[in-house]
Amino acid sequence: MALPPEDEVYLDYQSARPVDPRVVEAMLPYFTERFGNPASLHAPGDRATETFEQSRAAVAGFLGASPEEIVFTSGATESNNLALIGYASRNKRSGDHLVISEVEHISLHNIGKYLEKEGFRVTKVPPDQFGRINPDKLRTRITDDTILVSVCWASNEIGTLQPIPAIAEMLKGTGVALHVDAVAAEGQVPIDMATVPVDLLTISSNDIYGPPGLGALYVRSGVRLAPITMGGGQERGLRSGTENLPGIVGMAAAARIAAAELATEAPRLAAMRDRLISEVLSTIPDSHLNGHPVDRLPNNAHFRFDGVEGESLLLSMRDQGIAVSTGSACSSKTLEPSRTLISCGLLHEEAHGSLEFTFGRYSRESDIDRVMSVLPGIVKRLRDMSPLYDTA
Amino acid sequence: MKSTQYSEKTLDHFRNPRNVGILEGDDVAVGRVGNPVCGDLMEMYVRVKDDRIDDIKFQTFGCGSAVATSSMITELVMGKTLDEAVEVTRADVADALDGLPPVKMHCSNLAADALHDAIKNWRSGKRLTPLGAEEIAAAGAGCGAREATVVQGVAEYAGKGVYGSLDDVSVLADKRVLVVDKGIPSARLALALTGVTPRVIFVTELETLGLPEEVATGVKRSDVKVLLRSRLLAVRGEGEVEKVLIRDLDEDDEYELFVDAVVLLGT
Repeated sequence: MALPPEDEVYLDYQSARPVDPRVVEAMLPYFTERFGNPASLHAPGDRATETFEQSRAAVAGFLGASPEEIVFTSGATESNNLALIGYASRNKRSGDHLVISEVEHISLHNIGKYLEKEGFRVTKVPPDQFGRINPDKLRTRITDDTILVSVCWASNEIGTLQPIPAIAEMLKGTGVALHVDAVAAEGQVPIDMATVPVDLLTISSNDIYGPPGLGALYVRSGVRLAPITMGGGQERGLRSGTENLPGIVGMAAAARIAAAELATEAPRLAAMRDRLISEVLSTIPDSHLNGHPVDRLPNNAHFRFDGVEGESLLLSMRDQGIAVSTGSACSSKTLEPSRTLISCGLLHEEAHGSLEFTFGRYSRESDIDRVMSVLPGIVKRLRDMSPLYDTA
Repeated sequence: MKSTQYSEKTLDHFRNPRNVGILEGDDVAVGRVGNPVCGDLMEMYVRVKDDRIDDIKFQTFGCGSAVATSSMITELVMGKTLDEAVEVTRADVADALDGLPPVKMHCSNLAADALHDAIKNWRSGKRLTPLGAEEIAAAGAGCGAREATVVQGVAEYAGKGVYGSLDDVSVLADKRVLVVDKGIPSARLALALTGVTPRVIFVTELETLGLPEEVATGVKRSDVKVLLRSRLLAVRGEGEVEKVLIRDLDEDDEYELFVDAVVLLGT
């Protein structure tokens, strides 16, 4: 079992996940004896083609999609780029306006900035205090020039699930395409393209315990994109570059395992999440849950503590061998408070006091015991030296 | 370099900060600096005897480096003359900690700035005194003293999230509500709103809650988030209230806050 070391508690599955040993085992032959380029006409090439298409079918099956609707990429960021830039470039005759929710991953905000430089207009739609996008509010942002809306399936930070079926239903027949970043949600909640009319959907391999550096974009049949990577025309011209065969085999294995285990794993994670939330809120005074109290990812517990700052919390947890996250790991370099938390209505000092726990396949009940044995003391120590917290 | 790649010395000062706390007395001056965008707020208390720093303590809300630089600077200047202490620079603090990650260098600015602010206050005769009864009374009389400022967008969003009166708080169930201080009725309304929504913000230009004690205590003990020394400048949104622009009167800083409703009694 790929457990973290016994003395280490890893509750940051949102940042990175171990690759499932069953996935590693499935991949290994494809590095050595079963190598091959699907474009080659000889026997190893043919074998590679066969393996490759079986893998594509497995990933498609995971999403309730057809194999020809799956495009492999180098990861979620590339999938998001291909979805937005590829769709906007190909469909600009229909309009120059895109709508992005405020609670998206930073990659989508930065793609939006790039598209604005390229002459498109990008409007943001804010969430409610629980981080949820209201379809009616989203509707007010749509104009005759709108070509695409992008809303995540669940927030990667606070874990709030978005009403994607309702949003997809609202957009149906309007001619406005819907892109969904499903990276935080994949493998945790059912995602079925056969029943939800999403046009473009981003997934990543590592977020279902597959190898990192690999992702896919679901492109509904009939949806037209312009490629953003030029080359030998692989992936029907949408994503050139020789296929990463071992990686794709791994992602397919990961997708099969995720689909088979979702029904048992999701409730197991949700029970741990609920235990942590209940113990933190009842043990630590002036602690708050960020995100939605109920409609949230099974593995996400996101808190803030009045009067303390997140990096100090994180460093103190690290000293105790506990790996957690504060805000979005990706945006910590900018020193800016998390955009998601600010758009939920938090003040800067509240957003800075946040701490994110994300559970995963190798999380144990004992991890929560460890957290609860140190967190109340850490918060108290930091509050004792904080001018923002009145102990009286 | 990652923000968490601190030197051992920095980590030591973070784990075991020296001279944490506050000082009291009429021989104490305090310096207070902060950058809410970075999430830092620092208070430096100095007790001066014969022009020397006889004692120094600090309180910090901030990251690991904010804690460590505060702690380090107290060690560097303890016992020094004021002239020597003002010579201590941001770079001296960073050097004494065996360097800071580049992204965190501004935190060393804060510690030095807080110290310099405290010394400046000492030299200009500004001592730390607890708020006198007269000052509290003056703040408490603030009901009439609250400035009537023009808030942009109030007329535009009337009926679209701006409320001049509110008979039934349940219309704001689960909304983020900003209540502007208009004295006792507004404070009571804020308290009532906590029964229907988890997010109620009470914004006042005063330094303390200028309310009769039982109302002030009720607000402090409640889930109402109080913003002191803050002014509502503008209401914004597309078709309905979505954000407000707030001015922090102490920091001379403006920021946006996402809300769904604004209650401005009497407008």
